Parts: sequence; C-alpha cells; structure tokens
Amino acid sequence: MSEKIHFFATPHRCTAAILPFDLEERLKHWASLRFKMVKHVHENFTRDEWAYLVAFLDEANLRKPFQESFGESVTGGPAQPAALLRPRGLIGIWLPNNVSLLGSLTLLLASFSGNPLRVKAGSGAGDLTAAFVDYAIQNLPDGKLADYLRQCVRIERFDRQDPRNHQMAAEAMVRVVFGSDQAVSAIHALPHPPNSMGISFGNHRSEAWVEKDALTDERLTNLIRVFAMYGQAGCTSPRRVVVLDGSDEDALALQKSLVRLWPKAVRADVPMHKASQNIMELQLALAQGWHATSAPRSGALVAAGRIGLPEPTGLMSLPVVSASLNEAVATLATNIQTIGHCLRDPHDPQWLGLIARTPAKRFVPIEAMHHFGPVWDGGNFWRQFFEEVELQS
Amino acid sequence: MTNLLASPPFAPRDDAGFLNGMDEICRWHLAGCPEYRRVWPDWSGATRLADLPFLHVGVFKRQLWKTAVPGITHQRTLRSSSTTQTSASMIALDGRSSALQGESSAAILKELVGDAMRPLVILDSAQSLRQRGEISARITAAMSLRFLASEIHFVLNDVEAEVGWDHLLPVLARHQRLLVYGFTWILWRAWATGQIPQPVRAALAQTEVHFVHSGGWKKLEAARVDRIQFDAALLATVGPASRVTDYYGLVEQVGVIFPLCEAGYYHVPRWAGVLVRDPWTLEPLADQPGLLQFMNILSWGAPYHSVLTEDLGRLLPGDCACKRCGQQFELLGRVPKAETRGCANV
Repeated sequence: MSEKIHFFATPHRCTAAILPFDLEERLKHWASLRFKMVKHVHENFTRDEWAYLVAFLDEANLRKPFQESFGESVTGGPAQPAALLRPRGLIGIWLPNNVSLLGSLTLLLASFSGNPLRVKAGSGAGDLTAAFVDYAIQNLPDGKLADYLRQCVRIERFDRQDPRNHQMAAEAMVRVVFGSDQAVSAIHALPHPPNSMGISFGNHRSEAWVEKDALTDERLTNLIRVFAMYGQAGCTSPRRVVVLDGSDEDALALQKSLVRLWPKAVRADVPMHKASQNIMELQLALAQGWHATSAPRSGALVAAGRIGLPEPTGLMSLPVVSASLNEAVATLATNIQTIGHCLRDPHDPQWLGLIARTPAKRFVPIEAMHHFGPVWDGGNFWRQFFEEVELQS
Repeated sequence: MTNLLASPPFAPRDDAGFLNGMDEICRWHLAGCPEYRRVWPDWSGATRLADLPFLHVGVFKRQLWKTAVPGITHQRTLRSSSTTQTSASMIALDGRSSALQGESSAAILKELVGDAMRPLVILDSAQSLRQRGEISARITAAMSLRFLASEIHFVLNDVEAEVGWDHLLPVLARHQRLLVYGFTWILWRAWATGQIPQPVRAALAQTEVHFVHSGGWKKLEAARVDRIQFDAALLATVGPASRVTDYYGLVEQVGVIFPLCEAGYYHVPRWAGVLVRDPWTLEPLADQPGLLQFMNILSWGAPYHSVLTEDLGRLLPGDCACKRCGQQFELLGRVPKAETRGCANV
C-alpha cells in the first residue's frame, strides 16, 4: 500500500499525517458517488436518510475532520511539523439494532483515516451500513477508495453473545461502540490490546431551547423537520422543547404553532402503526394533565404542560414546557447530549457560562442537532483514529 | 340498558337503545374517572356511535383505569395473554360488570354450542387459576364456558405444556360428548399436532367433540397454517358430528364474543357495537378497511366500554348468509409494524 505524507497547518502549528491514500483523490471519489446518489434514493433508506448522506458527502464537510483536528491542508510541506500522525490500526465499530445512519457516517469519517474497519451490525434489523458500502462499491470509480471498501472494510451481523465480539475486541486498536450504556461497558470489558482506544457512544437524549422572540415559522418548521426525522428514537432529536423564561400561555402558543405548521414541514403520512401510537400517546398525555393535540392526520403528538408532568414517551411525542433558565438547567437529563437552540443572540456570553454548568455535549442551532461530526459526545473521536508522534528538531 | 340483554344476541338490533345505553355508560365513566374526563373534557353527548368517546387499546397497557362510583367494587385485574412482544393489558374487574359480562358470554356461547351440559376440557394448566388478585385472559375465556360444564378438566401439564392424555382417558370412557376449549395456537400445537396415544385416539374417534377456540391466528399464520388445515387436523382426531368454533374477542371487551360464522364473518351481539375508523383521520368508514373500534354496555368499573383497537377490519353491509342479524365485520389482521430506526438508545 503506497503511503503519502500530507501536511496541515494552523497559524501556530504544523502537523504531518501519513495516509495510505491521496486525500484529494479520496475527496474526489466520494464526490463522484454523491453525484450519483442525488439521482436516485436507495431502497433501503428513507428519503430523509439518503438526503442526509448526500449532504454529509459534501466536500467541505468531509474536509472538516482534518481542519478541526490538524488545520488546513497545505501543499509542498512546511519546514517543521510538530507532530506526525499515523493510522492507529484496525477500528472495530459495534452498532446496535435499529441504528439509522450512524454506522454509515462513522464509516465515512473512518475512511479518511485509512485504517481497516471491522463493523458489527445489529443482528435483528436492516443494516444500512452494509447497504451503503455495497452501493458505494458498485458506483465508485475504480481506484483506492473502492479497493479500500472492498478489501479493508468487513461488515458482519451477529448478536452480543457471539464469540466474534471477543475476536473484534482482541484485534481492534480502536473500539467504537454505539449502544446502551450496558452494552458499551460490556464491549470495553472484553480483553483488548493494552494500547488500544475505547470510544463510547452510549445512551443520550437531547432537547431544544427556544426564546419566543426568536421563533419564526421558518425556524419552527425546521424544528419539526429535525424532530420528525427520528422522533424520540434519535439521541439528537429533541425530547422536549423548553420555552426559556416563558409562561404557560407561551408553551400553549408554541404548541399551536407547531401543530399548524406540521403539515407544511412533514408532507408524508406517518406509517399506520405510528398514527395509531400517536392516538394512544395523545390520550395518555391528556390523562396525565398535558394540553395535548394531535398533528393533522395523527402525524405526531404535541403536548404543552408544566415541568414535572410525566413526559410523553411515544416515538412521535413532542412535549413543550416553559421554564426559567435555572429550571431548564436543573431539569436537564444527566445524559443530555445536544441542546438545540433558537435564541435571539446565541453569541451572548451568558450562554457559555450557562452551558458550562450543564453536562451537555453540544449547543448548536436546532437545524444542526443531527449533524454528526468528528467531535461527538464530548470529544474529537476521529483524531483518536491516529497515533501521534511528537516531533522536535 | 340491560333490556338489550333480554333478547337473543343476534336478534334484530335496537340501534337507538344501544346508542342510549352507550351514552349513559359514557356519562357514568366521565363522572367517575378523572383521567377519562381529562381525555374527553368537552364531550357532551352523541347522536351517532362515531361521536362517542373511546380509548385506544394501548392505554390499558400503560395504566390501570378505574371508575370510582358508589356501588362499584373493584375485584381482580384481568391481564391479557401478551403472547407477542408487547406488554399485557390490565383491566380492573368489578362485580356489577362481571355479572353482565358473564350473562353476555353465556348467551352468545349458548347460541354457538347449544345448552347441553357436558364435560369441559380446557387446554390450560390448573396452575393458571391460582394467581391471587389477577386472572389471565386465557382462563377467563375458558371459564366463560363453565356454565355448560358438567365437570371441568384442565389437561395441560405445568412443565412441558403438553396434554396429559392419561387424565383424558377416563373422561372419554364415561362420556360420548365433550366441549374442548383452547387458545388457537395451543390447540394446534398440543392437540392437532400432538402425539396422541393410541388408546386415547381410539376413544376420541368415538366421541363427539365441540372445539371452541380464540386468541388469534398470528402464530399459526407465521407457521403457514390456515383455517381449513386447522379445522381438518382437529376433526381428524375425533368422532362424527364434531365441530370447530372460532371466535374473536379481546381482553379490553371482556364478556363480548364475536363468533365467526360459516360465511366467514364475525358477528356483533346486540349489546355491543363495532365501528371502523380511518387510521390517520379517525373518520368512520362505512365499508373501507380501517381500525376496528368496539363498544359494549357491560363495562361499568373502568372505561373499557369503547375501545379503538390495532386490529384491522371492514364492515360488511347487508344481511349475512348465516341469518344472524346485526353488525358483521371481516378481520384483516393487525396494524403492520415497521422497523423504527434511530440511534443507539432505541
């Protein structure tokens, strides 16, 4: 495998990375796949999932791991890099059942490390990662990326009791584990190389914080779209919307606006079983004291109420509550991942101080809540795909 | 209200009387069940069945509903069999409703199997009766036949869930007619495809057996067994004039039995009602497939008198070839489930 040294620079530091591929060529090949993808939605993916993958393959987005980790790509080579990065070795990726795009997205990012990959897909559900890799192999131009996917990426389906879990843990230099906290701990507890890295993506939930003066129909429509993509099944989907420093009436007004805008934001009917579940959740929420309404055609449940009421837990249930900033912080889940915001001035320094007091891992505009990247769950996991060699002259 | 129970179950319907009965029972629950009142705060009356309040079948899996009104004493909790991956429904039983429910099921079952007393063989274990405070839907269904039983025999052993054929042999020696009740898939597994010892087989060949089963076809559909195969396999084990009767019922409509007639349709007794609703808009559908909603005037201890199910069906207009009067419907299976995708914590 031919290797090439690439250089990256920030104003204060230069970094070299030895990669088993040419970065520009790899970017070009993914871009060519993207061009094909826009023409036809793969049958295994929803329209939203496919559109998200297409957006993720944007060249500027794919450059981000390098930019955020090492700086801008520079040609010719700077005089003195301060560090040399080299691929750490086999990456094992454990995916749970019913996972949406996380497998494909992690694989895409990992393809820019050049490390070989072994992916354990969930045993009981459709496997989007294998479907995406198969599609990519069939549609990529001949070259190193197609060869890499064919020869260096192995995707298998087995359950948590399968001995191949032990095998994977024993040989992987990086373990990336998605799943329940219990499943993540179980994988990291398997015998593994002492110098290997463990990356954990366990149970998390997210929510949206909004100020009523910052709300527009456009932003509310975006909020609905973000929620509707996965409902409560997405760890980056808002499990509740908090109207900061709002009143009960503000929560009710927001609920009404969301219901009014729902058909504009989500044009397709939910499947029949979800419509049925929404009727059930609506009645349970009403029984528990929420002011709950169904979105048209039973597309979702939107409930306004007070903090402290048992939260509706249905897949397509979106509770709206009003709270002071202190109440919002105090009632955050300990496993909070993303706070999606719709604020008058998100750059106001007060937010930094406030977020510092929370366990939140991301504070991003509502529209970016699902945007996966090299920094996730509190750290730059992508950088861990490399081993760093300190260089001094 | 109870006047409706005075006539045979499939006599001509009294639609106005049924609507009045439903109106009365809805007001009763609104007055006595605060949670129910919160679900239907603005309801003030209905001029048609479609405008009556209802609860989704799933809400009974998430909380125990009770209507607290003087004269209602809650007794045991009825639990669904929960044979699929879902959790069990919980229905709070009370004395007043139980009496009506018993009267209802007896009237319907008499219409189905006649009123001759004979031994009742139940394909379940006696252990199922010994749960304090709770009763399973399976046992409730079986015991609804006890008024026709000259003696009762539980023949499924506790450990292997196989028929204890040795216990059946002396019963067969003494009687020429039997009533056998089992959940559909248990009858198939333990009787139709079970290993029947030769002496029992010989005795059964001389016995007129009326099999009654309920509980649904999901497991048998998965095993690709249809009704014709099912009936044929059972009848091959027993004597001449034997019969198989299938009925549909749900724990959230305890006491109401919807028999499957020879023409292939389920019939609704005159003290119950059925609607079909569009799954997305909930609009009532006259003859299109949709979600089945069932109503009855028997359930006073908790608001399970009007329940929107996740079963799909279609109303059949006109008269049925079987000559039963009233509403009839076709059962089209369950709401199809699709994979839910999301993140790691799904």
